[in-house]
Amino acid sequence: MKQEGLKYFTDLHLTSMGLIIFFTFFICVLFWVFRKDSKYFYGEMQNMPLKEQEFTDARD
Amino acid sequence: MNTNGNLVEKIIYDDDIVKKFALATMIWAVAAFLFGLIAAIQIPWWPANLNMEWVTFGRMRPLHTNAAIFAFGGNAIFAGIYHSSQRLLKTRMFSDLLSRMHFWGWQLIIVAAAITLPLGYSQAKEYAELEWPIDIAIAVVWVIFAVNFFMTIHRRREKHLYVALWFYISTIITVAVLHIVNSIEIPVAAMKSFPVYAGIQDAMVQWWYGHNAVAFFLTTPFLGLMYYYVPKVANRPVYSYRLSIVHFWSLVFIYIWAGPHHLLYTSMPDWAQTLGMIFSVMLWAPSWGGMINGLLTLKGSWNLLRTQPVLKFFVAALTFYGMATFEGPLLSIKSVSALGHYTDWIIGHVHAGTLGWNGFLTFGMLYYMIPRLWKTELYSKKLLENHFWTGLLGVIMYYVSMVVAGITQGLMWRATNKDGTLAYPDFMETVVRIVPLYWVRALGGLLFLVGFLMMCYNIYMTIKLAPKNQTSEEVVEVTRTGYTEVPDTTHRKLEGMGFVFSVLAFLAIAVGSFIEIYPTLALHKYITPTKVTEPYTALEIAGRSIYQREGCYVCHSQQIRPIVSEVIRYGNASTIEESMWDHPFQWGSKRTGPDLARVGKKYPNLWHFSHMMDPRAVTPSSIMPNYPWLAEKDTNFLRLRKELSVLRLLGVPYDDNTVANADGIAQKQAKEIAADLEANGGPRGMEKKEIVALIAYLQALGQKGKAQ
Repeated sequence: MKQEGLKYFTDLHLTSMGLIIFFTFFICVLFWVFRKDSKYFYGEMQNMPLKEQEFTDARD
Repeated sequence: MNTNGNLVEKIIYDDDIVKKFALATMIWAVAAFLFGLIAAIQIPWWPANLNMEWVTFGRMRPLHTNAAIFAFGGNAIFAGIYHSSQRLLKTRMFSDLLSRMHFWGWQLIIVAAAITLPLGYSQAKEYAELEWPIDIAIAVVWVIFAVNFFMTIHRRREKHLYVALWFYISTIITVAVLHIVNSIEIPVAAMKSFPVYAGIQDAMVQWWYGHNAVAFFLTTPFLGLMYYYVPKVANRPVYSYRLSIVHFWSLVFIYIWAGPHHLLYTSMPDWAQTLGMIFSVMLWAPSWGGMINGLLTLKGSWNLLRTQPVLKFFVAALTFYGMATFEGPLLSIKSVSALGHYTDWIIGHVHAGTLGWNGFLTFGMLYYMIPRLWKTELYSKKLLENHFWTGLLGVIMYYVSMVVAGITQGLMWRATNKDGTLAYPDFMETVVRIVPLYWVRALGGLLFLVGFLMMCYNIYMTIKLAPKNQTSEEVVEVTRTGYTEVPDTTHRKLEGMGFVFSVLAFLAIAVGSFIEIYPTLALHKYITPTKVTEPYTALEIAGRSIYQREGCYVCHSQQIRPIVSEVIRYGNASTIEESMWDHPFQWGSKRTGPDLARVGKKYPNLWHFSHMMDPRAVTPSSIMPNYPWLAEKDTNFLRLRKELSVLRLLGVPYDDNTVANADGIAQKQAKEIAADLEANGGPRGMEKKEIVALIAYLQALGQKGKAQ
């Protein structure tokens, strides 16, 4: 069964490398985003589009 | 100085360029939707092809896709990027001259496409049909845009780059990489070239490009626009900034790997198919991260849908984005792809994305942006509501009809009797069954167009009734922000470094790209020397160019998948060797007609002649257009020496004699076919005509000997 499955992976190292690179990258991003003391900063960032008040912001 | 002691500066945004792009979006949208509607009618009703070469489906379809993606979608994202970036960066665009060069350059490219595609100048590569001079122009204009955008970032008054700008950065970088790599070709004439890639290589590069054109032209920039305009209209911040970061990096990193899912069950190496499938399934998470983030921005304020009806467009757009990005990974699972690939299910899927996601988001953005740019109010909210519901009904009719048609056709193709024979051996049976659904699709498209025309009238009246003599240059007051803060974390440092951020975004796409293009660098690993295929003759090459010019690849694939029903219907599954000299590959992505990989020698020459002149003469229920001009126009024999010479340069094994006498050899073969036509009751004197070259090519398919 194992042999049967692996025969389709003729370049196993490339497939594996892809997954390892991605998951390492993804875990790093998660750690980065949820690090301590970032709440205030993200609160500031997410308000950026709302900071500039234009001529017609009050209406639609 | 303001109360915080910051210096207040007075600046003027360049809204004139935004107005230009916004109006161009609307003008080209009418063209794109109209071409789509014509193409939708041409399929179930062949007389709509008008027996005219310039408007046949094979040329209309690329005209429609290019207009929809690059003219409508392109101008929309430029309008949004120029509008939102100036405000998020608190600065005018770097150069008015570059902005205008970008605008007029892009419009000229669109005009060039609108002229050349109907004339038949095509590379026959999906979404990359435009010939080499236009490819160069696209690269130049894109660089102009990139310089203008990155220099604007450099000059900004806001230290931190809001998430929308990240999406714009990744778009600009990745589209440049995709376009340049996919467009490497060697010219033969002013409007004719051969791509340097062949067969499997070309297929890999093309779908690395094609899939990521969807990813980085129709997804990332629109997500950026969503992150700016949804909070603006709802007047509340994005639901989760953390989620936006996670889904940005995941999306940018994963998307680039997923191209091979367009080539499942083809002769592409299995590892690449598996990789494409895995990354496509993983893509579901970041895609839905974006959708959820957008929709939850409205959490607690859904009542705004009543007072700000423009929000309806954003909600519908995000819902279609969620549907399409759920369906995409689903279709990338090999067993589902076996059913859906080559059918209209894919067409339905794509249009849920372009009409529902890109279309509705653009409409919402324009409804928000245009009254503000012209300093007035929207002419009619009622008309806006009518547009929304008409358009929504149109998209739903389109999508449902195509999914039903696709699944019906897929099931009919694979249906077998108890004795193992095909339940529907005649391909036409599977076409005739879904013709009514094609009419439903056309009706859905018509409704979408009607809704858009309501918008055009609404916007026209809005602009017409706007206050006259208003100054287009409004002075706004801004303060520099974020520059005096101490960057206490790595993220804050990175946030402020546009260049480093851009390099990281490039690296994220480069890793996946390199691995995906690996087969182009190591083709020898996948080809068995004993099976190497003979190249096409000079006349067959001439016929191949005609085949591509007429857009035959739009409806016919040349790739038999190793699926039982396909092998029974068409013959042995295709191999890598068979297409190894094909510049470009012709594996196709849709079967409105049957696969042609082994059509050679299946029918006599006269059958092909009759089939091209009047398909109903040999297949009574055929929906294929007539191609009468092929019996009138002469083959360009003179160019064949140059064409074979370029192909030899690209590795096709032609000897000196074949290249030096290409025209003479081709004329000799043409005379043989013309004589056969005449001997069997066909017309006389066809040896110089294009139809003979095309017949030569069709008769060569699957006949290059050693590969079978």
